[in-house]
Amino acid sequence: MPCALNLMTDFNIILFMCNWGPHAAYQTLQDTAARIPDEIKMVRIPCAGRISKALLLRSFEMGAHGVALVGCHPGSCRYGTGSSNAQDHVEDARGILELLGLGKDRLRLATFLPDEPERLLSFLQDFTTEIREMGPSPIAPAGEKTLLIEGNNAIQEIVAAHDVYACQDCGKCSSACPLTLAGKPFSPRGIASEVIAGHIDAPAVQKDIWSCLTCGLCYDRCPSAVDFAGFIRDLRHYLATSGSNNHTAHGGFFQSLMRTMTSEDLQMRHWEWLPEDIQTDPDSKILFFGGCAPYFDIFFRTHLGVKTRDILVDSLRLLNFFDIHPALLMNERCCGHDLLWSGDRENFGKLAQLNVRALRDMGIEEVITACPECYRTLARDYPQQGVEPGFKVTHIFDLIEKEIDKGAISFKELGRKLTFQDPCRLSRFENRPDLPRKLIRRLNPVSFDEMPEHGTSAICCGNSAWVGCDAFSKALQVKRLRQAHGTGSDLLVTACPKCQIHLRCAMEDPFLGEELHMEMMDLASVLAKTIEWE
Amino acid sequence: MTQANKGGQRQEIVFTGFGGQGIVLAGRILGKAAVIGDHRQSTLVQAYGPEARGGACSAQVIIADQAIHYPYVRRPDVLVCMSQAGFDKFIGQMKEGGTLLIDKDLVQPKGVSGDFFSIPSSRMAEELGRIMLANIIMLGFFTAVTGAVSVDAARDAVVKSVPKGTEEMNATAFNKGCDYGLAVLKGREKKASGKAGA
Repeated sequence: MPCALNLMTDFNIILFMCNWGPHAAYQTLQDTAARIPDEIKMVRIPCAGRISKALLLRSFEMGAHGVALVGCHPGSCRYGTGSSNAQDHVEDARGILELLGLGKDRLRLATFLPDEPERLLSFLQDFTTEIREMGPSPIAPAGEKTLLIEGNNAIQEIVAAHDVYACQDCGKCSSACPLTLAGKPFSPRGIASEVIAGHIDAPAVQKDIWSCLTCGLCYDRCPSAVDFAGFIRDLRHYLATSGSNNHTAHGGFFQSLMRTMTSEDLQMRHWEWLPEDIQTDPDSKILFFGGCAPYFDIFFRTHLGVKTRDILVDSLRLLNFFDIHPALLMNERCCGHDLLWSGDRENFGKLAQLNVRALRDMGIEEVITACPECYRTLARDYPQQGVEPGFKVTHIFDLIEKEIDKGAISFKELGRKLTFQDPCRLSRFENRPDLPRKLIRRLNPVSFDEMPEHGTSAICCGNSAWVGCDAFSKALQVKRLRQAHGTGSDLLVTACPKCQIHLRCAMEDPFLGEELHMEMMDLASVLAKTIEWE
Repeated sequence: MTQANKGGQRQEIVFTGFGGQGIVLAGRILGKAAVIGDHRQSTLVQAYGPEARGGACSAQVIIADQAIHYPYVRRPDVLVCMSQAGFDKFIGQMKEGGTLLIDKDLVQPKGVSGDFFSIPSSRMAEELGRIMLANIIMLGFFTAVTGAVSVDAARDAVVKSVPKGTEEMNATAFNKGCDYGLAVLKGREKKASGKAGA
C-alpha cells in the first residue's frame, strides 16, 4: 500500500448493527455525543442473523480492517433464531479468517440490550484499539469488473475460438444434458444459436449461460466436437466484464474468498490444522497441493457436516505409506478453478501467478494433488491462460496406482458395497474414467456396481464453480442419488470434494433426505483405510 | 533380511523350473552380471538332457571373490523355484537358513517352516504380454531381495543377453521384478516396525 496509514481514520471498521436491541443503545450514544471512534462505519441492519458468511467475508474483501456484528442478546431476538444464526456465521467466518491468515480477531460478535449504551461504547472503543494494534489488513481490494470487452467482436471471437459455427443443431447435446433431463427449459444448442444470432443481451440467454453446469457431457456427445463448456466459460468472462449479475451460489462467498486470496501480502495458515503424525519434508522437491477442502469444512460445518479435509489427510497418509514425504505450501492459495469458470479471468490469473511463483521459489519439481479440479487447473488451465507452471502435475491416483503396481500390496476386506460418482474434471475433461476404477478394482469390497450412467457419461453432482444452482440442480442430484441406491450399494465412493458437498446437500432435503441418504467416502480415504503391506 | 553382498563372501545359487522357462538363461545372465558388471568370479553348471525338454531343469551358479575350484552346487545358499517339481527336487538340499524364492502361483512351499520370498512372476509376465519374461522378472526379484549382484550389473547383463529387439521389453520386466522385490522388503520393514497400514 503506497500511502502511509498515519491517520487513524484510514482504518475501516464495519459495524453491522441490529435495528432492534443494540441500535437503541447506539442512538443513546449518539444523543449524548459519546466518543464513538471515527474509524467505525455503522451499517444498520434488520437482524444480525441475516448477515451471512458471504457478507462478512465480502467486507474484508472490499478492504475492511475489522468487522463487528452487533446483535441482540440470545433470547431477546425479535425473530427468534437471529442470535444463534449470527453466532454460527461469525464462528465459521472467524475460522476461515484464521486459515486465510487474517486472524480471527478481526471479526467480532457482540450482543447488547437497549439499555446498555456504556457497555456498547466500551466494546467499540476496545475493538477499535485492538484493530489499530493489529495494523491494516493485508488484503488489497481486488475489484471484479475491471476490463470492459468491446461488444460484438468479442462475441464473434469467442464463437470462432470454439468453432461454435460447426454446431449442426442436431440436439444431441440437449438429449444428454443433465439439466435438460432434469426438466429445466434449457438447451445447449439453443444457447449456441442465440449467441451466434447476436442475442447475447437477452436476459433469458444470459440466465442460461450462468445455469450451465459446465460438466462437459454435451461436448462428449457433440458430433462436431464443439467444446460447449469452454464456450460457456468464455461467455461468462464476457458477461462478468460487461457487468451481468453472475448468479453466484452461497451469496458469492467462495468467489469472494478466492478474490481475497489474490492479495499478495496474505500470510496464510492453510495447513496449520494438520494432524501431527503426518510426515512432511520442507526440503522435498515434491509438493502436495491440498486445495480448498479446509475452507469447505468450516463453511458447511453447521448444515452439511462434510469432512472433505479428510481427503487431504488420507492422501498424505497414502504418500507416507509409500515413504513419500512431500513439502506443503503454508501460503497455498486456491488454484482458481471456480473463478475461471465463473467468469473472473483477471483474478484467476493473479492466483495462478502467486501459486506458481511460490512453488518455484520452493524449487518444486512435481506437484501432487487429490482434487480433480486443482489437477485440471494446474496442469491445463495455467499454461493455457499464459502462466507456465514449470513443474510436473500428478494426480495422486496416478502415483498411487504406480506404487501399488510395483507389488507386495494388499487391501483389507471392506465390508461395503460400492458404487462410484465420477468427477467431471477427471473422468470427462481429462478422459480418464479408468484411472479411479483401476484402483477400485484393487480394493476388497463386498461388491462394486456401476450406476447406469458412469465413466465419461456420468451425471454431474449438481453444480460447478458455485454458480447457477437452482431447483433443477437439486432434481438432478436426487436422480443421481436414486441411481446410486438402485445399484444396491451402501457406500458412494467419490473423487472430488465438491461431489461430496453437492450430493450431501440433496440428502439434507426435508422430504426426501431419508430416502436419499447414503454414506460417502473419497477414494483416497477408502484406499488409505484398507491398504496394507502384504 | 537382504543377503547383502559382503566382500569375500561366496554364494551358491540354484535356479530351477520347467524346461523352456529360461532357467539356464537366467543363470547365465546372473553369472555375467557378477563377472562383467561386478568384477567377481562366477561359474555356471546347467543341467540339461531330458529335463531341458520339459522336466525339472536347473542352473547352478556360484559367485565368489576368489577363484572357484569346484563348480557344482551341493548346498545352495539361495534356491529359486519356478516349478513345483523343481521345488520338490531341490528343497532338501538348501542350506539351513538359506533364502528361498518362489513363483507364488506355480509353487506350493510344502514343508517349509521358515521365511521365504514369493512373487507372481508368471502372472506378471502374462500381464506384460509375454509369459517368456517370467524368468527375467524373477531375476529382477532375485537381485532386489538377495543383493547377490548389483542392480545395474544385472540389468546390463539382461539387456546384453536377450535377443535383439526385445531389450526394452526385458529391461521393463527386470525393473518390474526388481520393484516388486524392493516393495516386499519395504513392506517387511514397515510391518516389523508395526506400521502395516497407511
